[in-house]
Amino acid sequence: MTTAHEYAKANSQQFEAQLVDLLRIKSISTLPECKDDVQQAAEWVAADMRRIGLTTVEILPTGGHPVVYGEWLGAGEGAKTLLVYGHYDVQPAVKADGWDNEPFDPVIHDGKIWARGSSDDKGQMLAHLKATEALLANGGKLPINIKFLIEGEEEIGSKNLGKFVVENRDKLKADVCVISDSGMKTIDQPVIDYSTRGLMYLDFEVQGPKQDLHSGGYGGIVHNPAQAMAEILAQLHNPDGSVNVPGFYDDVLMMSAEERAELRKHAPPQATWEAATGVPQFWGEADYDLHERIGGRPTLEINGFASGFYGEGSKTVLPAKALAKISCRLVPNQDPARIFELVKAQLLKLTPPTVRSEVHLQASAFPAVMDTHSPAMTAASKAYEQGWGKSPIYERGGGTLPIIADFQRQLGNLPVILMGIGLVSDGAHGPNENFTLEMFHKGIDTAIYFYEELGK
Amino acid sequence: MTQAHDYVKTNFEQFKGQLFDLLRIPSISTSAEHAGDVQQAAKWLVADLERIGMHIVEIIPTGRHPIVYAEWTSAGADAKTILIYGHYDVQPALRSDGWLSEPFEPVERDGFIYARGSSDDKGQVFAHIKAVEALLANGGKAPVNIKFLIEGEEEIGSTHLAEFVASHTEKLAVDVCIISDSGMPTPDQPSIVYALRGLTTLEVEVFGPATDLHSGTFGGSVHNPVQALAEIIAQLHNPDGSVAVPGFYDDVIPLSDEERTELRKTGMTDEVWRQTTGAPKPWGEPGYVTHERTGARPTLEINGMAGGYFEPGFKTVLPAKAWAKISCRLVANQDPEVIGGLVRDYIMNISPATVRTEVLVVRGAPAAFVDIRTPEMKAAISAYEQGWGRKPVFMREGGSIPVVGDFQKELGAPVILMGFGLNDDGAHSPNEHFMVEMFRKGINTAIYFYEAIGAGELHYDNRS
Repeated sequence: MTTAHEYAKANSQQFEAQLVDLLRIKSISTLPECKDDVQQAAEWVAADMRRIGLTTVEILPTGGHPVVYGEWLGAGEGAKTLLVYGHYDVQPAVKADGWDNEPFDPVIHDGKIWARGSSDDKGQMLAHLKATEALLANGGKLPINIKFLIEGEEEIGSKNLGKFVVENRDKLKADVCVISDSGMKTIDQPVIDYSTRGLMYLDFEVQGPKQDLHSGGYGGIVHNPAQAMAEILAQLHNPDGSVNVPGFYDDVLMMSAEERAELRKHAPPQATWEAATGVPQFWGEADYDLHERIGGRPTLEINGFASGFYGEGSKTVLPAKALAKISCRLVPNQDPARIFELVKAQLLKLTPPTVRSEVHLQASAFPAVMDTHSPAMTAASKAYEQGWGKSPIYERGGGTLPIIADFQRQLGNLPVILMGIGLVSDGAHGPNENFTLEMFHKGIDTAIYFYEELGK
Repeated sequence: MTQAHDYVKTNFEQFKGQLFDLLRIPSISTSAEHAGDVQQAAKWLVADLERIGMHIVEIIPTGRHPIVYAEWTSAGADAKTILIYGHYDVQPALRSDGWLSEPFEPVERDGFIYARGSSDDKGQVFAHIKAVEALLANGGKAPVNIKFLIEGEEEIGSTHLAEFVASHTEKLAVDVCIISDSGMPTPDQPSIVYALRGLTTLEVEVFGPATDLHSGTFGGSVHNPVQALAEIIAQLHNPDGSVAVPGFYDDVIPLSDEERTELRKTGMTDEVWRQTTGAPKPWGEPGYVTHERTGARPTLEINGMAGGYFEPGFKTVLPAKAWAKISCRLVANQDPEVIGGLVRDYIMNISPATVRTEVLVVRGAPAAFVDIRTPEMKAAISAYEQGWGRKPVFMREGGSIPVVGDFQKELGAPVILMGFGLNDDGAHSPNEHFMVEMFRKGINTAIYFYEAIGAGELHYDNRS
């Protein structure tokens, strides 16, 4: 226990109050009407960075929402430099989605803070700022140089960050990067994800008649685009749960028998998944275990669709068009651009001549794998041991962090550590997102230990 | 040309203005937030019916939207009595659906009145009210007793009407029922619909995970309910376009060769199909041509579906549920409850164990068939000949008017489907419109019809 840990303990309630403040800001990056809120969140983060004693703090414009950059280089040239990445933007949320409280009016109960972004990623990102604050407080010093790169477009595919990284290679130069934007299965067992999946997200539109028609007058003589859409979507998976897009698995790096055996050791029991999902029965590629399907295999998911009249009551309409949002989670070495072309070709091929269809790319990101034997990874493992009292296990993560591949490729194969301090049951992207306060405080302690280990 | 027709000529602009007033009321029966507007439309009609001289005018409450009832019986006990049915409720409409003008701010362009409800059915039922006004004006008399039954729930399946008709058979005792709520193929060729399709609607909900999940953290291990629903919907039709539900066609009466020949005379051409639908290529059940598919064959249609995130931008969510609204158009001899049950059982049967599916059969109405050889039909033919200068043709119509069957069964009276709309009026669609000339001719034809019924001496074709 150092002075920094004592400071964190003494200020824990204040840290929580600060997180509540940040969570009140509706920084939904995908919605144009929230643009000012996103900007406001950036300013909030910049102000906190200045307050805790970072020496250079900037809000840097991009083609979309700004990047917040802050640094403290007082450890000197001989010391290691850590790049902390996080994001202050959030997924959309409205109470009607099934929230018990207003998603942007945080409440604390049952040891958790309930709000959109509490876990993904405002809470996890803020843990690093608070760890840094604890070390710098009362004239203190960090054992390493630290740089913060906090973006506002992670939830919309980090559209402008790749370019930003390329243009700011020198500014972002570091020895190791840490990202806290993922979850553990249980509060007792820390986890380091050593791979993330890539992403390809597209809009698919099927058009039938030129306008909505009366289903009595025209039903039976026009191929209903809602039906045609369903018929196309139903062909995207084989009966065994695998993806029916020719070439989809061509570039997938197969997991070795050794890796599969290692992963199986720590695989969470099925009951954990049952509790987290509430599904009547699991589904997926038959040849792979649940944890492999999520981390080690690519997927094709329909994130949403809509057509015709779907509100209260009824309207006997034959809709003019149908829209679907489709995304693929990708694994090494799948290339999102190639996967887009393959899925697009399949969608167009499956479109019957009785309707028209269009495919538009929304976002893409490369998958990534991290070296589990790097010195940085060892430092992270030691930090968890001290913060959690338990060695972390290594897992493949199912989510996507577009920036990892950019860091690896643009910043000299920078080692990236995914030090997630959320829980998979936090409800990220869903209603009632929450962040366990114990995780928040343990996360701050673990970050302090991590910086100290790196400094040794 | 009678005095009543002169009155129509003199007052036509005023009639149009009144119709505009009625069209401004957004009486969308399916939407709870418009319940007040539906009520207001009912009150508007009551005021107009009182003004034109109907003796009894009532707003009769039902379980939801009220029925407007009115009568004028001074033609005497020996005269025939006509029941005029129509509806004052409309389908939903939003400018963003693709309207060129506000759906509840009527405008006249190029001889058409554009507004939701202009053709279906405010414009058509209003033509009858104005025809009666023309006859009663200036101390005039109608040659028949007249009863109006104008409901506010037609677009939601006439939920309470059947019960009302069954429990008011004396009040509604009439010699003939007339309904103007359908369309003709062209403005020059009047037509009388003699067959309507029935309707069964269903709601399907597919539930997957307990809440929306992160598609990264869980994708690949959970059967996505949007995908599962798509897989279910995709199994509702066979590759050839026919409905895949077992037993769906069992009770359908096949078309006779004679009827097919007769129908071919007025069938929709491929060119008209292309123009009105704008779809790239015809589709439908093999072995039948376009007008047979809409008029004589049952269908299963997805009216809408939704699930997950479908706003602009993107959200990498694995949705908790997806739902679809399905309706079947039925033909004579198909029982809406039987069909609803067959579709429900089939969907439950093909629903995979990885999701939970619920199916609700919402409502149904049987198909209707009208005898075309009655004396009342002869009166209608004669009215069209005078109003349009041309003999009407007989057609099957793809839409549904649930009350036809109820009138036939409960009142034992013949029903005449005297449509004043056009098939391409855009009923239920954006930019619904009603041709001004059809409104005018409709009023005149209604007057001729009342006169023809009043004149009597109409004989059943097959009566010796």
